[in-house]
Amino acid sequence: MRVTDSLIQSQFLAAVSSLESNLAQTQNEISSSSSFTTAAGNPAAAGAVNNYTQALAQSQQYVTNSNAAQTRLSTEDNSLSQVQSALQSLRDLALEANNSGLSDQDRSAIATQATQIQNTLLGLANTQDGNGEYLFGGFSTGTQPFSLTSTGATYNGDQGQRMVQIGPGQTIPDSDNGNAVFQQIKTGNGTFNVTEPTGAPANTGTGVVGATSVSNPETYAAGNGQYTIDFTAPGTYEVRDSTNAVIDTGAYASGGTISFAGIQVNLTGAPAAGDSFSVAPSTNQSLFATVQNFVSALQPGSDSAASLAQMNNGINGTLNNIDQALDQMSNVRADIGGRLNSITTQQSVAGTQQTQLQSNISSLQGLDYAAAITTLDQQNTTLSAALQAYAQTQGLSLFNFIK
Amino acid sequence: MSDIFGISVTALQAFQAAINTTGNNIANASTPGYDRETVNLAANPPQSNGTVSVGGGVSVTGIGRAYSQAATNQLNQSQSALGQLNALQNYSTQLDNLLGTTSGGLSTALQSFYSAFSDVANAPTSTASRQALLSKAQSLAGSFQNTSSELDNLNQDVNTRITADVTQINSLAQAISTVNKQIQVGTAQDGGQPPNELLDQRDQLLSQLSQVVGVSTTTQADGTINVFIGNGQPLVLQGQVTQLTTVQNQYNASQLEISTAAANGNVISGSITSGDLGGLLAARNTVINPALNQLGQVATAISQTVNSQQAQGLDLSGQFGAPIFSVSAPIATASKLNTDATSATVSIANLGGLTSDNYVLSYAGGAYTLTDQTTSSDVTLSGNGTAGNPLTAAGLSIVLSGTPANGDTFLVQPTAAAASSFKVVMTDPSQIAAAGAVQASASNANTGNATISNPTTLDAANPNLLTAATIRFTGPTTYTINGGPAQAYTSGGNIGFDGWETEISGTPATGDTFTVGSNVGGTGDNSNALLAANQQSVGVLSNGTTSITDAVSSLITGLGAQAQEINTAQSAQSAVNSQAQASVQSVSGVNLDEEAASLLQWQQAYQAAAQALAVGSSLFTTLIDSVNGTFT
Repeated sequence: MRVTDSLIQSQFLAAVSSLESNLAQTQNEISSSSSFTTAAGNPAAAGAVNNYTQALAQSQQYVTNSNAAQTRLSTEDNSLSQVQSALQSLRDLALEANNSGLSDQDRSAIATQATQIQNTLLGLANTQDGNGEYLFGGFSTGTQPFSLTSTGATYNGDQGQRMVQIGPGQTIPDSDNGNAVFQQIKTGNGTFNVTEPTGAPANTGTGVVGATSVSNPETYAAGNGQYTIDFTAPGTYEVRDSTNAVIDTGAYASGGTISFAGIQVNLTGAPAAGDSFSVAPSTNQSLFATVQNFVSALQPGSDSAASLAQMNNGINGTLNNIDQALDQMSNVRADIGGRLNSITTQQSVAGTQQTQLQSNISSLQGLDYAAAITTLDQQNTTLSAALQAYAQTQGLSLFNFIK
Repeated sequence: MSDIFGISVTALQAFQAAINTTGNNIANASTPGYDRETVNLAANPPQSNGTVSVGGGVSVTGIGRAYSQAATNQLNQSQSALGQLNALQNYSTQLDNLLGTTSGGLSTALQSFYSAFSDVANAPTSTASRQALLSKAQSLAGSFQNTSSELDNLNQDVNTRITADVTQINSLAQAISTVNKQIQVGTAQDGGQPPNELLDQRDQLLSQLSQVVGVSTTTQADGTINVFIGNGQPLVLQGQVTQLTTVQNQYNASQLEISTAAANGNVISGSITSGDLGGLLAARNTVINPALNQLGQVATAISQTVNSQQAQGLDLSGQFGAPIFSVSAPIATASKLNTDATSATVSIANLGGLTSDNYVLSYAGGAYTLTDQTTSSDVTLSGNGTAGNPLTAAGLSIVLSGTPANGDTFLVQPTAAAASSFKVVMTDPSQIAAAGAVQASASNANTGNATISNPTTLDAANPNLLTAATIRFTGPTTYTINGGPAQAYTSGGNIGFDGWETEISGTPATGDTFTVGSNVGGTGDNSNALLAANQQSVGVLSNGTTSITDAVSSLITGLGAQAQEINTAQSAQSAVNSQAQASVQSVSGVNLDEEAASLLQWQQAYQAAAQALAVGSSLFTTLIDSVNGTFT
């Protein structure tokens, strides 16, 4: 082919310009340590990297979320553990108060301590998190959830439970509402409750309710749980159901067990004729009402055997309620522990996932330095060879030889 | 004797011309468009003295031009194709740099925005996290606005370059026409000998023209050429030059089209597909505007989904959430050519059906047709265009102010203005609706162990949504809502009423009650913020198959693939163009070594001819001297 001077010039310029552009591209890749800097370099990979980057950011957000949940749950757990120790102290006080031979002054001192514990419990139930939100208010985190009343406490929150997303499709509650924790504590043994009659006339004997239990759940479930134990004579009782029909009768001796309809009730003392005890399914009672009832039971009264028995029954009820409350706290704390475990698991899963995503991104976008440096070296060599070749051939002209 | 003088003189003249030609070649070795010239020599007819014929010397029959019409045409075509690709590449590369980065830019702004929603969910009453969300919303809006304003700048740049190209085409056409006339005259004057320099000049003008716009030519018998562009629109025809002008697009005054000044200003943009001008038009139609539309589609999707989630929840003051974003509704522009003033209003009927294409709505023969401009195919329309029964197609709802005149058209741009108009309208962070509208509670008197889940809002527009409703179990497997008819209970089944839905699971006891009612005051609730934070991965576009994240990824991939394809085509065409240049140069270019050899050759020939003259002279002297001796 016939070659002309201007063609040599323009082709040389085009070649050098292309080599320089390639060199700049490789330099750019090395300095940004990425195999492509814009999507045109590798469109499919760029789209995938975008997806992975979004997934990575989301995963990091999940970790942020779970840290936030962890803080709230730890605060809640800490509050509940303090509630537990307050309840233990209360339980000790109740046991102490149950002793016969205490003076009104002693009881009054116990009542004062119980009131202090009530205030401690109130403070704990009104715990705020780092953002000033009430932990036990449900969704109403701006309103103080509990305020004391003469019969216990009012719950001003709601039953909402805030969820936090800690993983793809995985949400966990970051708190529990105060109603579920403090207000819904079953009375009695958790299934049924045996009490003295609430209205007049009060029992005149000294019968005190001891341990109660369900001996046969099937039989118990067959009835509606409402019974009355009536003492027709100091040693004889009959059990009536809610239709007032007598379903059982028997003889009673102090410390004996009365069994009927799958129920076992242990009684001590000497109930008088006409005394009665009602059996009813457990209901929800506020923890604060329990403390208030305890304080009320300790109010000074006559030292008659009957009123002491009444007080013992009241305190026994309180002890039952405290045990139920302790169970409740344990259950809630176990639940929180489970959630904290899920968070830890999820954080470790997120860690693995993030490593994987980062490795995906770097395998798509990461630069093979060895290859890039080799390419850079080659391009450099080619460019300098091209420049040198041009310089050498430029001297070649016939005119130089025609002298 | 006189022969030697005559012959030598013809030779000296011829070689002088040859040396001049070679000198001219050397002088023009670097002149663009110069074609190497050669002297055409021919032996003069012999003179006979009766017995033998002796040659009569040499004469110059003409100066030839090394020229290949085929190679030149090929180069012109290749330059047009390269010009088109260069213009396209310029814009696709800018767009790729603007949007094709996986770090920073839109992707990051988007992710930060949704993460900020998660942070609000973590601390729904914290003003700091709410304020942070609004700031992230601002930077997302800023990202959309900046990108779309960059794209607008690119469109402006396209307009400026179209105007410059049209001016250049007009002046080149005028120059070609002028040279045409000079060639016609020159050819006639020189007795049919073509004026080489004028031909070179015209070829050079054509070459320049072909870089701006693809041309085809026909050569006339008198040496003039006719030049056509596009689909055969004459630019230079029989000495007549058609002036091109730029006119505003019939729908969009901000986009220039090319028109022939004659014939009532026909718009010929559609037929110009090559050269720089073709590349500019293609960049606008296939690179810039589609990107703007796709960006708008994402902006519309974000705005709609965020705002509708807002509307389902309650803000800190217990009000339903106000919109966070606003975007422009789809635009419908009536053509300038419409004969009546009917206008069209377009709104989005269904986000899932929304595309990033533009449509032309035309009314002819009593019927509406909606044509997708990208695919050039018609879309099925339903409705009649009245407010009561709007035209619906492609996720759009179109209402016309009246019946258009026959032949009227409207350009419907569903998302073109969305990105530039995407802005944050919320200023008060307490208006972020983090809480759900309704909450549920179980009565403390319940004796069963059934629990109720946090209800979700299905229809925020239900007027009774916030009215408390009581679910009462009339038996272990039946319940009533507000004392209504008994319904069968299944543990974990959905229970819906008044625009909400919830689940009760477990074993309820007869008489147990649950209440679902207003969550006003439930400022610590984050259930609405949780839903909002997840929306970027929910399929909302393409009938629920494409999420916002997917849409951004496919925008990046699409632009990258387009830029890559154009880069590849441009490199290939560059190679083709180099070949074409080489092939023209190999025919027409000047090689200085060759000229040096020629120069030597002609110099020696000239010296030889001069020597022949000297010999003739000496012969003559010899003869005169001999004769002198005889006569003196």
